[in-house]
Amino acid sequence: MRAQPANRISKKGLKVWRLYGMIQTIILALVAIGGGVLTYIYEGPWWIYALEAVLLLVIGYLIVILFPKVRWMRWRYEVRESEIELQHGLFIVKRTLIPMVRVQHVDTSQGPILRKYGLAEISISTAATVHTIPALIMDEADDLRGRISVLARVAEDDV
Amino acid sequence: MSEQQRYKLHWISALIEMLKTMKEALLPLVVLIFANGFNGSRSGPWFLQYLSFIIFGVLIIALLISGIIKWKRFVYWFEDDELRIESGLFVKKKRYIPFDRIQSLDYTEGIFHRPFGLVKVKVETAGSSSLKKAEGELTAITKEAAERIEIEMAEAKSRKKEKPVIEGEEAILSDDIQEMVVEEKTPLQKVFKMTTKDLLILATTSGGIGVILSGVAIFMSQFADLIPFEWMYEEISAFIKFGVLIVAIAIFLGLLAVWILSVGMTFLSHYDFTVSLDKEDIVITRGLLEKKRVTVPLKRIQSVVLVENPFRKLFGYASVKIHSAGGGVGESSRINLFPLVKRSQVETHLAEIFPDLHLKEPVNKLTSRGKPFYYRIDFLWMLPVIGALIYFFFPYGLFSLAIIPVIIAFGLWQHRSAAYEIVDHQLIMRFRMFSLQTAYTMKKRIQSMEMKQSYFHRRKDVATITANVKSGIGSFHATVQHMEVEEAEKILEWYEKGKQPSEVAQE
Repeated sequence: MRAQPANRISKKGLKVWRLYGMIQTIILALVAIGGGVLTYIYEGPWWIYALEAVLLLVIGYLIVILFPKVRWMRWRYEVRESEIELQHGLFIVKRTLIPMVRVQHVDTSQGPILRKYGLAEISISTAATVHTIPALIMDEADDLRGRISVLARVAEDDV
Repeated sequence: MSEQQRYKLHWISALIEMLKTMKEALLPLVVLIFANGFNGSRSGPWFLQYLSFIIFGVLIIALLISGIIKWKRFVYWFEDDELRIESGLFVKKKRYIPFDRIQSLDYTEGIFHRPFGLVKVKVETAGSSSLKKAEGELTAITKEAAERIEIEMAEAKSRKKEKPVIEGEEAILSDDIQEMVVEEKTPLQKVFKMTTKDLLILATTSGGIGVILSGVAIFMSQFADLIPFEWMYEEISAFIKFGVLIVAIAIFLGLLAVWILSVGMTFLSHYDFTVSLDKEDIVITRGLLEKKRVTVPLKRIQSVVLVENPFRKLFGYASVKIHSAGGGVGESSRINLFPLVKRSQVETHLAEIFPDLHLKEPVNKLTSRGKPFYYRIDFLWMLPVIGALIYFFFPYGLFSLAIIPVIIAFGLWQHRSAAYEIVDHQLIMRFRMFSLQTAYTMKKRIQSMEMKQSYFHRRKDVATITANVKSGIGSFHATVQHMEVEEAEKILEWYEKGKQPSEVAQE
């Protein structure tokens, strides 16, 4: 069995994902409330309220508690001299191998929520694909970006 | 460079430009005409009655004028080893393309080009910025002018090589090169040519029919509002009295006509399909009415895919496609290298073009461990459908159960077809969607590799492996599904062993 890549993403990433989950849950809750109001106006049966509440609770649990946890546990990366290895996935675990010589450029980016937590995501582009490591501590991301771009020497004629 | 003469396109390009714009605006125009011209009001002043025709006429004149302006404003010239194009009336566009960035020049001769001995030239560069459009397009120039571009290009490239050139010598040098270019033109090594018989088989078995059928469907859906269904209903009910047979024949004749149309179109576009080798490039020429000439640099080719359609395999035929990086060659990044070729001759033809490629059948088949995965997932969406069919159409719905063995057989077929092999620095992957595809890819052309495992995969120690290859500006994924995890890891390891053997794990 292949060893897993060595590094995990920041623990704060988990928090951010939970936050995303909460935002989505709030939007869902608004929709559910809208549904409830409609049910009240048109005098729908009582079980519609119950169904909405249960659905909201289940989805909320999944996207706030369970999925971020599993995703975080799974996410691993490793930047070695000659390649980058990633592992991620919720239901389907994906292992990706990117040789350094294939890397074309590296970006880091940061939205408002990520900035608040001092995180950044890093995108590694090859000629054919883009791979993203979602939540790294900012210094670490910048450092990594620098290291990858130094290590990545694009071989001529290959693309 | 001293030569700064500015060249114009041929005047016919104004007409072509106009027709091109019209073609794009055709459907809305037709709808407009039909909607206004036939169903519109019959009263009112004369110009209201003929409003749509007037609009149409004005539009044509406007398009013609804009075409003429476009042609008038379009100039190109050679300067500083660049092809420079300037166009536009209000917004002036200047585009400078350095010669050593140009990947290839593709020629198209349409029906308007032929009588005047003209060609359309598309300039392809490595990273074409937009999806479909080539970097530069010269709508219509004479063949001599096209040749001049090639000569300029060759000159510029050789000047790059022998960099220190003294101004005075340039004229002599360029003369030499011109001769050289002319000489080099002749040894165009023909590799592959489709015979008329091959062409007919290709045309009759092509999938183009589906495209046309869907085209008809779209056309119908556009006009659904305009077709007088009520009137037609009465007519049809009268018609049906003649018997179902006549209706069936009518439908059949309609389909036949569509099919013949598709055969004709394939025949015209692939007539005289020739692949030849020009030093570092593959040159593909084809077409009867519209002659196309596409150049693909050999070193840009990322992957070679052998496609074996089961129907064509019955007749012993296969086809070969190649994936090239950058410069979408008209249709897509997937280029038909041999649209139809005798299966037994694939290796000999390919070996001529790609002498380094190992063209062997991949020998490592999959073990039975991953077998159930090939049909299992299909049941997830099929079972509810079958259940619903049985429930709603009780006795006849049971027939839908017959699809289960078909699905299983298809899955087993896919499983039996899948194979892979590693030869030196080359990965061979074989997989079946419906047609059997065998992808030959050099290790250095694989951009990244992925191994995927679902929860069920992990329980059975099975994994799916994908090689991502650049194709055009997108990517092509060669995938072998549900193979043993140990084997998948072996492929990853082979891929991992890069040029630097020292793999220092860093924190």
